Amino acid sequence: MKRIGLNLRIMARAFEIELRQNMTDGFVLFGILIQPLIVAFMALWMLKGKGPDYAIFVVIGSGMTGLWTTLLFNGGNSITGERWTGTLEPLVASPASLRVVIYGKVLANVTQSLLSMIGSYFLISFAMGYPLTLTYPGLFFLSLVISVFSLVSFGLILASFFILIPDFARMVNTLEFPVYILCGFLFPIALLPGWTTPLSYLLSPYWAALALHGAAQGTLEPLQIVGTWGIMAFFSLVYILASGRLYRMILRKARMDATLDIVGN
Amino acid sequence: MDAITVNHLRRLYKSTDGIIKRTTKEVVAVEDVSFEIRQGELFGLLGPNGAGKTTSVKMLTTLLIPSGGSASILGLDVVKDANKVRPRIGFIFGGERGLYWRLSGLDNLRYFASLYYVDEATSKKRIPELLKIVGLKGREREKVEGYSRGMRQRLHIARALLHDPEVLFLDEPTMGLDPVGARELRTTVKNLQSANKTILLTTHYMFEADALCQRIAVINKGKIVALDTPEKLKENVQDLSVVEVELYGIPQEVIDRIKALDFVVEVSIENRDQRQVMQVHTPKGPEAIPVLVEHLNGLRIGRIITREPTLEDAYVRLVGGAEQ
Repeated sequence: MKRIGLNLRIMARAFEIELRQNMTDGFVLFGILIQPLIVAFMALWMLKGKGPDYAIFVVIGSGMTGLWTTLLFNGGNSITGERWTGTLEPLVASPASLRVVIYGKVLANVTQSLLSMIGSYFLISFAMGYPLTLTYPGLFFLSLVISVFSLVSFGLILASFFILIPDFARMVNTLEFPVYILCGFLFPIALLPGWTTPLSYLLSPYWAALALHGAAQGTLEPLQIVGTWGIMAFFSLVYILASGRLYRMILRKARMDATLDIVGN
Repeated sequence: MDAITVNHLRRLYKSTDGIIKRTTKEVVAVEDVSFEIRQGELFGLLGPNGAGKTTSVKMLTTLLIPSGGSASILGLDVVKDANKVRPRIGFIFGGERGLYWRLSGLDNLRYFASLYYVDEATSKKRIPELLKIVGLKGREREKVEGYSRGMRQRLHIARALLHDPEVLFLDEPTMGLDPVGARELRTTVKNLQSANKTILLTTHYMFEADALCQRIAVINKGKIVALDTPEKLKENVQDLSVVEVELYGIPQEVIDRIKALDFVVEVSIENRDQRQVMQVHTPKGPEAIPVLVEHLNGLRIGRIITREPTLEDAYVRLVGGAEQ
């Protein structure tokens, strides 16, 4: 019990440190505040023929793009940042579990990216005058909380590759748009070829987008929304359990290959 | 009981080259290194750049897994018991990295305190004490990016002491510091030893090792070439004198010719701006000067002096007279 308390404290401190560092980084602020607004504006323009009901779909979709971009670039890149500052080694050599530290950092990144959803809401609702209503507000907010934890667990796995491969940051660029598309952030996956559907099902951001879109627009029944929570909880559990072994393996490999102090490009 | 035991420690680095036909190259960084450090001892690991000092420290601080041999800290194996070793050691690596520059010194310390499971009450008491010890009191709320190099290095020391570790690893802690900053840091290190901490200090500054360490291991090309007290190491060269000749450009063939003289034990060249200082270790003392000058015929010669050997000369003799 004491151990859990100590780990929660480490997580909270990692959360705070990450948030404070990000707030001084212009690139991060652009990803959270400006990019989703551009996406929202463009999407709304493209989908204006679909009627005003589509506005809430755009708010959530653009918010999800901000969430994913932040998770991908800031969550993972926070490890690259630790390499650049030379703090990855002190982190690994400390008694704290690196998994706990990274969970706190990714949680900070995902939480702050919710700002992009709020930003899109204000842009579309107040500046552009579209009516925004949530069909199931309670289920929507619960879906949001569960989505955040599901995405953070996914980010935990993603971040581990940044520890193993110093240059992994180069590869993540290729993951940004495929996930937007495969997870149905801005248009339904029914528009995609059938063979891509199983891929979407394996990605927790897909279930997060489905739950949020469904609760906001009423395209899912409450029971179906609860079903998506179950799937997200299942994925989160799998990711967290897998991360224990994964981090042990990756840290051992990094210590054998002497890659902890290597600064990637 | 020994605080640190190192047995036949070995570490290889592998690097691969080529895309289709991949070739793997192995470099031995540490080869068959063994030593023990007593509890409360300040032990120096002295060697030139690339000798294997940092690699050895990284293996002992659990950041690298040895390729062979074993090491234990306070009876705990650094590989098998890494999780138990970590709370009991503190370390700093030379240079300015390893801190969050966009945060204040205080934020850095509070964060690392939590990583070392230092509880909030202890942390609140200990951080101001450490800030006072390292001379950063009053500057702790400023961002680290505005700190001088010396201040960052002192913040590193405070970070390493947050959890009051029994064993400290200081890897070239005075690297890049100005003389005043380096002297202050040496005083801090000396005080830590007075507080009965076991300290492993790596440095390539001879006078630093001489002034601080009770015993010194000289490491070169990954191997320990000598291990003794500074006094005993100096005794190895007591039979010799050092002739220093200031030159303005010296060809390699002249150095080789001087090295080949029967009364010359070792020759080292030290670059000082536009000049080189050739240090010749010889039992002949001042009598060697005329012969040396004869061999330097045609070169521009500055000052020539003869002096008693220092620890640095013992070190040069041990690691060979490579250009410093």
